[in-house]
Amino acid sequence: MPVLSNVSFQINEGEFIGIIGPNGGGKTTLLKLILGFIQPTQGTVKIFKNARQIAYVPQSTKFDREFPISVIEVVLSGLLSRLPWYGFFNQADHQKALEALEKVSLTQFKNHSFGQLSGGQAQRVLIARAIVDRPHLLLLDEPTAGVDNQAEADIYAILKSMQGSMTILMVTHDLNAAINQVERLLCVQGAVFSLKPEEVCEHYAMGLYHDPLLQIKQSNFR
Amino acid sequence: MPSFIEALSMNPLLFAALLGGWAASIVSGIIGSYVVVKRIVFIAGSISHSVLSGIGLCIWLERTQGVTWASPLYGALAAAVGSALIIGWMHLKYRQREDSVIAALWSIGMAIGVLFISQTPGFNVELTNFLIGNILWVSTTDLYILGGLDIAIILLVACLHKRFLAICFDEEQARLQGLNVNALYILLLILIAISIVLLIQVVGIILVMTMLTIPAAIANLVTKSLSLMMVVAIAISSSFCLMGNWLAYYLDWPTGATIALFAGIVYVASLFFANRRKKPILKSIE
Repeated sequence: MPVLSNVSFQINEGEFIGIIGPNGGGKTTLLKLILGFIQPTQGTVKIFKNARQIAYVPQSTKFDREFPISVIEVVLSGLLSRLPWYGFFNQADHQKALEALEKVSLTQFKNHSFGQLSGGQAQRVLIARAIVDRPHLLLLDEPTAGVDNQAEADIYAILKSMQGSMTILMVTHDLNAAINQVERLLCVQGAVFSLKPEEVCEHYAMGLYHDPLLQIKQSNFR
Repeated sequence: MPSFIEALSMNPLLFAALLGGWAASIVSGIIGSYVVVKRIVFIAGSISHSVLSGIGLCIWLERTQGVTWASPLYGALAAAVGSALIIGWMHLKYRQREDSVIAALWSIGMAIGVLFISQTPGFNVELTNFLIGNILWVSTTDLYILGGLDIAIILLVACLHKRFLAICFDEEQARLQGLNVNALYILLLILIAISIVLLIQVVGIILVMTMLTIPAAIANLVTKSLSLMMVVAIAISSSFCLMGNWLAYYLDWPTGATIALFAGIVYVASLFFANRRKKPILKSIE
């Protein structure tokens, strides 16, 4: 059974979009397609007329907590495309990394080990890494998974503060929170269709992506 | 019996052995750190054992076919780099079965080596040296080769360290930043292969994983950045060489095995102390 099929959607510049859907629906596949990690078997993905100024925030839980890397080194890795052949970042790059850390309120942790941070702090460091080079499109893969309520509120506050300055696509299972934050939702369940936050059925928040309602919404969208 | 310090000044062989061990420590500290943090110790083990195929082939060519240029060192280098390329290719193309392929390469390499050696008459001193190492036979030429490769690896790693760090920590991010992740991964494996051949001169095939992983693994317990981990690993590895040579001198034990045993005991002790140190921290968080 194919993952996704005739998917067609557009995202406007500066939008804050949540991507929802049941497990196995194709959310990760959609992210990987946008990131260019996999190629579509048919059709094309066009972003900024093919200019790929994309940043990605993975889940912090996938990282090896014993890896010896400092917070500032993680953030600087968001500037690798600017790294000269001799392999040293210049003063301006370090300044950009510090500014990005300031935006996520973690400047005081710049020399700490990434593995020593809490889940919420680690996620904010990954957001700093993603925004350090001022991307046009920011993709986030469940940024609040496995963090406590306060860390979740901090992460949403950071994303809200960036709203409008870049286009944000956030995969999330946390539907209750997401409908309060995002402007539009893309529901991925084989195909992709768009919903306004107020159209989201309360059953979705319980993980029940029931077919009849999805079909109604899908027909409305078309 | 003269003291170890007196013996060092009187016996150039012992002094050369210590210098050789320290030169190898630089390689093991730097490259071993990448091996440990990228969690590819199994790959390094496979490369180190498949080296036997090249050594066996060259000894057979030299002894039975009269090919005088077929030095076991060249065979070891060719087999190590060849294995690294095969493993790299399998990693990129058939990641699902990577561990099985690595294990197969490990045993096939050793099998080829054993077959060639069985067809070679006489007792092979070089083979014994490659298997269990003989640091006391480090020649002046070996020291120059070790020193030259140290400098080459330091320069290369200085330029590529942040890129290697990126592919070790988060390959997806590195790819998104436009790095050629596949080429960097293959280059890292080739550097590991060359380092393994150098370290084999010191401690031999059977013990090489000790030098490549234990100093870096201990350094990983006490450092929070990869570059600092490399410096600490070099210091630890150099200390192991010094202590191993010192113990081997007084106990009249084989140097390579003494270094490996000492390193192993220190590693187990460091794990014990690292666990004890972590417990109060966890309690305070709770």
